[in-house]
Amino acid sequence: MQSSNGRGPLSGMKATGAATEDVRQYILDHEIPLRRRTDGDRTPTILQYGAFVGSVIEHHAALVRAMDRARAHITAMEEGNRSVASGTVIIADSLSGSRGRFARSWFAPAGGLWGCLIHANTLLPESRRFLSLATGVACCEAIRQAGADDARLRWVNDVLIGGKKAAGFLIQGFSGPRHLDAYDLIGFGININNRSFPDELQNSATSLAEEVGHPVDLHYFTAVFLAKLTWNLGLLYFEEANDLRGDGFSGRNGEHLLLEGWKELSDTIGRRVVFGQNVFEDQTAEATVTGLDDDGGLRLRLDDGSSLALQSGEIRYRD
Amino acid sequence: MVHEIDFDEILGKYRSDPYDYIDVCATHTGLVRCLVPEGGEVAAPSGEWLHIPGTVLYEITRERNSKFVTSHTNGTISSIHAELDGRFVEAGEKLMTIRHPMKKKEIIENILKEVLFLFPAPERAKYFFSLDIQSRIEKKGARAVTINAGDEIITMSLMKRDTPIYYDGEPGVIYSVYFRPGISVSQGDPLIGVCAPEKLPLIQKIITRVKADWDAEQ
Repeated sequence: MQSSNGRGPLSGMKATGAATEDVRQYILDHEIPLRRRTDGDRTPTILQYGAFVGSVIEHHAALVRAMDRARAHITAMEEGNRSVASGTVIIADSLSGSRGRFARSWFAPAGGLWGCLIHANTLLPESRRFLSLATGVACCEAIRQAGADDARLRWVNDVLIGGKKAAGFLIQGFSGPRHLDAYDLIGFGININNRSFPDELQNSATSLAEEVGHPVDLHYFTAVFLAKLTWNLGLLYFEEANDLRGDGFSGRNGEHLLLEGWKELSDTIGRRVVFGQNVFEDQTAEATVTGLDDDGGLRLRLDDGSSLALQSGEIRYRD
Repeated sequence: MVHEIDFDEILGKYRSDPYDYIDVCATHTGLVRCLVPEGGEVAAPSGEWLHIPGTVLYEITRERNSKFVTSHTNGTISSIHAELDGRFVEAGEKLMTIRHPMKKKEIIENILKEVLFLFPAPERAKYFFSLDIQSRIEKKGARAVTINAGDEIITMSLMKRDTPIYYDGEPGVIYSVYFRPGISVSQGDPLIGVCAPEKLPLIQKIITRVKADWDAEQ
């Protein structure tokens, strides 16, 4: 990808997709200098915590669903008495049977970044609950890095550019069938160079290329996204360790660094929203967003003056 | 979980004292200020999503962060540790007790909880039956749905992370459902109560007996 602000392509990037060494190289060349400016000496520690991301990167020309491939991979590894590498990333050029939450269809033709990250669940529940937020922050940062400076997060982790959705995530728990090890399968779908959408998504979906006005180097973007995931998932472990030591969180006023990052990228707070478990099918209600709770829940003020913390479900903007 | 019930003893207990006594303990260490008097009435959370908090019971302050703790049930403050008011307390220290008047349905559920296998919530989250279980419940009703260990029965939903929950108890029918879609369940609270087929007559006996005794009392 060519860019005027030094966001150049990785040297020696493979034609078939980003490899682990490409992600590492991007982190060394770009991520560490960038983070040092804001996070100083803690930068290497956070990146070490997140270094499992992209430990193995598996690339496919086509899959039905990346999540299914991840489950099959875990099952096969366990049956072969082998360990699954946490951070394994499965990427496909296109998916033929992808879907979002509530079995919603997700259009995944060639040109987008479609895949799944296998995270061996080693986080405490208090940290694990931030996985969704961390994934959204990572994607929003990567999209901005690639030129869409106005990309914003809509709670929980929808990435919008100009109010249209450019990326979505689906996180599912999975237990290995033999050893019952717990995994989080972090599914990601990011519209990069795919510019056509089904009729029902024409007004609500967009792609990075459409927004920046030129094709984007998909391999480069993959490395950037995985580097941002390295940082943001690393934050979960870093802050968990701080808290367990009794040091509290590291953000301003003792706030969790991930929540601080989420707030900087989101335009949700202060918005008028409709909310529900499934805003397209369930009974919904309207409210005004007043803030984000320490546990990542969305604080809403209802029209009768009462407040509600949304821990699950989804929102759509009304204003 | 018990297999036999001494109805006379249990019903006698509920007849003589039809209340549940709920201890309210300090949520964490801190300076406590009690905000309800002994004998005072307290209200439970209300609203469509139980989002309107119950009566404020006490304020606890740690490192200049104050938190107001509210009642999770309705009732009367039956006792209060007034000597702790204005003092620094440890996490878990008992501050007061709420006497909650029990309804017939709650009494039946309390007795059933001693007989049913209770399947607990692994995390504080929202819970939904899995698609397969939900469709079977819609067709036949929960009490006609048999589940076995290893069945995917529930989806835990938290911050857009959905985790399938697998049943790990004894085979049986879903007799009681303790969660409502859209309402968060605390970690450890029961999600469902499962009854082994051979215990169904016992369950029916409990319900019939409580209803008969209670209605006769009224």
